[in-house]
Amino acid sequence: MKTPVSCLLFLALGTLMSGCATSNVREVPLDRAAATTQLEPQDVRRTVEKMVESLLVAPGVKEFVANRRPVLDIEPMKNRSTQHIDMISITDSVRMQLLRAGLFRFVDRSSAGTVGTDIARIDQENTLGLVDASKAVKAGQQTALDMYLTGTLSEIKNVSGRTVDQYYKFSMILKDLKTGEIVWADEKEIRKASTRPVFGM
Amino acid sequence: MKFLKHLALSAAFAAGLIGLTGCADTAGTVVKTDTLTGATLIHEDNTRLARRVDVTGVNYDTVNGLKRVHISLASTRHARVRVDYRICWFDVNGMEIDGDTKPYRSLILEGRDAVTVTGVANSAAGVSSKLRIREASQSE
Repeated sequence: MKTPVSCLLFLALGTLMSGCATSNVREVPLDRAAATTQLEPQDVRRTVEKMVESLLVAPGVKEFVANRRPVLDIEPMKNRSTQHIDMISITDSVRMQLLRAGLFRFVDRSSAGTVGTDIARIDQENTLGLVDASKAVKAGQQTALDMYLTGTLSEIKNVSGRTVDQYYKFSMILKDLKTGEIVWADEKEIRKASTRPVFGM
Repeated sequence: MKFLKHLALSAAFAAGLIGLTGCADTAGTVVKTDTLTGATLIHEDNTRLARRVDVTGVNYDTVNGLKRVHISLASTRHARVRVDYRICWFDVNGMEIDGDTKPYRSLILEGRDAVTVTGVANSAAGVSSKLRIREASQSE
């Protein structure tokens, strides 16, 4: 009688201990549940996807993409929130997804230093004398821009007692460079709340 | 002796419970839509989720050369139901197109409410879609 009870106890303890075993590092899904009220990777991923989907099916875009692939440039999004967020990375994600959709062509003039780099490279090719002059790229042949995309991130934070209520809004607009008209605009709102426990940090 | 036996049984029960919660069911509901054949397949792998959320309709159209799917979901509960969903796209050969760019989105269904979720294909090559719904509590 003593042996089965001991065995059962040992088994139970073993199961409990293995259930509580944790490793410090593990790979987690990209889209996990919210852990903080800060802007998290899954928020950025959802925002980029929503904005790209909205732009691709916008009625205003239809006339531009009907018979051709307009040339687009995307300005780095502006961060008007109090958090340090890599807006260049978000801008890159939007551009990457739009490029993959195949409806637009892109130039990269808005990114810092790109224009200067292009000019410097063309100049270097032509002046060093290393390349065949007939094959060297001449300045003034780059594709002209049709439209440009820009956006902002803003934030409202409310603290009431132990509760923090955080609101984020991503806004983006697509402008026709020729007419100055706004072809498409959309926004994505995110609201998160957390309550600090009575005890502990 | 009797006390020890009870203690052992209680410990075994507790361990079993912990073991069960550790192995949470991450399966969900899958809705496959093929815009070429018009076929829709609903596959329910999580009975608890299937009892809470019904798939009530599937529609698709084409906008700016890209396929778009609309799937209507209805809550059967009076309480709020939180789920995550993602819609990924496949080309004519059944190959997934840029799956990483289609994240799980959160969806809050109010009591007895119905909502329509929409997904747009990543490119003109996308012809069939797969909606996957999972319980929000199962995302780490």
